[in-house]
Amino acid sequence: MLALAAQLAANGLISGSLYGLLGVSWGLIFATTRVFHFAHALTLTVAAYGAVIAVDRLGVGLPAGFVLSAAIGCLFGVATERVVYRPLRLVNATQLNVFLASLGFLIVGESAILIAFGPQARELAGFPISGIALGPVAFTTVEGLWFVASWALLLPLMAALWWTRYGRAIRAVASNRELAQCVGIDPERIHVLVFAIGSTLAGLAGALLALRDTASPTMGVQPVLAAFIAVFLGGIGSILGAVLGGLVLGLAENMGGLVLPGHWQGVISFVVLFLVLVFRPSGLLGVRAR
Amino acid sequence: MDFWLHVLNMIGLFVILGLSLNLLLGYAGMASMAHAAFFGVGAYTTALTARDLGLPFPLTMVVAVAVTALLAGVVTFPALRVRGEYLILLTMAFQMVVYGLMLSWVDLTAGRTGISAIPRPRLLGTTLVTPAQFLPLIIVCTAAVFAVAYRIGESPLGRVLKAMRDDEAATLAIGKSVLRYKVLVFCVSGGLAAVAAALFAHYQAFINPFSFNLDRSIFIVALVVLGGTANLVGTVVGGILFVGLPEVLRFLQARQDIVDAIRNLLFGLLLMLFMRFRPEGFVPEHARARPPAPPRPAAPTGAAGAARPPVPARPMPARPALRAEGLRKSFGGITAARDLSLTLLPGKITALVGPNGAGKTTVFNLLTGFLIPDAGTVLLHDTDVTRLTPWKTVRRGLARSFQDVRLFERMTVLDNVLTAIPGQPGERLGPLFLAPRHAAAAERRNRDKALDYLAFVGLRDKAGEIASSLAFGEQKLVALARLIATEADVLLLDEPASGIDMHWVQQILDLIRRLAASGKTVCIVEHNLEVVTAIADHAYFMEAGRIIAEGRPEELMADRRLAEIYFGTARP
Repeated sequence: MLALAAQLAANGLISGSLYGLLGVSWGLIFATTRVFHFAHALTLTVAAYGAVIAVDRLGVGLPAGFVLSAAIGCLFGVATERVVYRPLRLVNATQLNVFLASLGFLIVGESAILIAFGPQARELAGFPISGIALGPVAFTTVEGLWFVASWALLLPLMAALWWTRYGRAIRAVASNRELAQCVGIDPERIHVLVFAIGSTLAGLAGALLALRDTASPTMGVQPVLAAFIAVFLGGIGSILGAVLGGLVLGLAENMGGLVLPGHWQGVISFVVLFLVLVFRPSGLLGVRAR
Repeated sequence: MDFWLHVLNMIGLFVILGLSLNLLLGYAGMASMAHAAFFGVGAYTTALTARDLGLPFPLTMVVAVAVTALLAGVVTFPALRVRGEYLILLTMAFQMVVYGLMLSWVDLTAGRTGISAIPRPRLLGTTLVTPAQFLPLIIVCTAAVFAVAYRIGESPLGRVLKAMRDDEAATLAIGKSVLRYKVLVFCVSGGLAAVAAALFAHYQAFINPFSFNLDRSIFIVALVVLGGTANLVGTVVGGILFVGLPEVLRFLQARQDIVDAIRNLLFGLLLMLFMRFRPEGFVPEHARARPPAPPRPAAPTGAAGAARPPVPARPMPARPALRAEGLRKSFGGITAARDLSLTLLPGKITALVGPNGAGKTTVFNLLTGFLIPDAGTVLLHDTDVTRLTPWKTVRRGLARSFQDVRLFERMTVLDNVLTAIPGQPGERLGPLFLAPRHAAAAERRNRDKALDYLAFVGLRDKAGEIASSLAFGEQKLVALARLIATEADVLLLDEPASGIDMHWVQQILDLIRRLAASGKTVCIVEHNLEVVTAIADHAYFMEAGRIIAEGRPEELMADRRLAEIYFGTARP
């Protein structure tokens, strides 16, 4: 029983780290621009397909594939901001309308990928997959990579957001767009910056996911749903909150099975989200109520 | 042939779903991503009651409607406090939970296998099986749902829903229980969705969870938004275009999954383009030109409309209309109001003056229930209203306006005022459907009343215009007419003359004087000291959350110490 709990906790921390990464990448964009960026899922998918095609068909090495996925994610996200969201901002579209446009873009992208590459899943090959045993817990090398990569990306990013000039500018725009403008920050540039950072992370996450779970046209939706949950769980505008939210989500999904009846297991994450929104809408570390 | 009849049937079902969601999304302004979940709950209820309990057709639909409406009402409670992205996410979470349970609660729903062999309905001696046999039934149901939705949407009830959508706080401030209407519209929306659900379950004779997923919810939202929110004709058009038209693509010579992908691609593209270039949808809310206000025998009017306010003059009792005693309110470490006591006399105009941040608006919030004081009482005609919610306070006869006007921007000027009239039978489902004549008669009377209020402020000829299109000064007048329409006898006016030019100021002051002369109790918050001296009988001077002086405005103005506080320095 204890061994099982330890194993589940390890699984929870592994997927939770990736959720934290996704949460930060989505939450940074949402908190700063207030765009409910559902099409983040498309950024992730496009980058994963880019890596798969580069490695599989063009014979590029796996590390180069990862770099490529980051670059594609970054470019695709910035292009999305400029082509899809900026025009909407200029006509003062309501939040629901921006959300629907984002969904529309996601549907267009998924369909286009399906038409171009077919519905079948594609694996990002070339990573040596084997098992690792660490005391009572066991996991695969891919999962180990997820964990290590997530934290290797998260820690420097958190530090940069806290201590660098650009990090402060981002936080300034997130907390008050007009005031930030008054002290000489151009919010439009910051929008591009957060889309660039968030989408780069999404691209890398796409490649990481394709290592184990393969790439498919709709592969981005579940991870991005997890990202929403992590962000709202942790509290909008809090980077640390998103990381914590991701970990809580990962642990709840994996360990909830110990206490809950079977048929609730598939919906634990959404039950958690529902409860947080009802009882603590500002999230675990959120400062802004509602 | 059968295929096209099937398409027609599906259009009918989606139109029902769209109409039911439009009440919630278009009229009440609540974006719900859970409509497919309600659709699913209705369908499973129908399937299980028909197959396992052996209930006959119309009864299964009745049960499904009741169960779904009830569930929608319960789910609403968490949704009451949140708006915008939080509501989207909350309803999305609910959608995912319901969908997940449909998949995994195998004992009840048979999981992915779904429920098959749902009995076909028997009507008028025939068992309905083919699309052609179902078509009349679906058409009748669609028409019925349209009639119900239209009746609700274009009634005083629908007017309150739109008011709530445009400004929740202002809706409370005209005496409408936002909570009640939110629960009501969720129940109605869920119940109507279950009509489509019952038809769907019987028509397919088989259901599984995949018809009720998040994509379906999103599709219904998109259908409503693309068709046109708060316009039911738009939803019918949306149903035909987005359910019917894509079927033409089936005749492309290609693999089924590619055809589906092309259809989705076009749909997504359309969604993006509409949000950018025509966000109001195919048939916008105010698509029909509104008839101008009917001509009425002109009242003897001066420059500012009717000479007398359209409220009966009351004998002026000497007793105070409103007494506040020892009000205190702190936010964290900041005390916004302390030991506040004031008295408002009927027929008199009282002013609250003081520098910015003195807590004048906080006083209004405390008096009207928008804030609950930590200590102290508010007595309205000797009854305690301290802890009443804002809308109840208004019903007791104490109403307030807002500094930033807060009109219902997308509604007409007439509707802005009309909504504020209390006790309209058409705001309740019972009279609306069971005593339509009574409701219609009341509506005619209230319409005349609202036009009178507009005439009083001199804006009768603007009755048909959209509120946001008016000049700011006119908007302030509409807000005043709306406030009078609440029929409250104590009126709190928050900076009624700020931000507008002298012409409007004179007119508004004149109106306020006449309101007081007719027996209303008036209290204003005002920065402009000239305005205060011009109309106030009595003034309270506030600083840092306290009343530090009171008296006739001229006396207060003459006090050097107060002038110093007000201007930051003594006047020469």
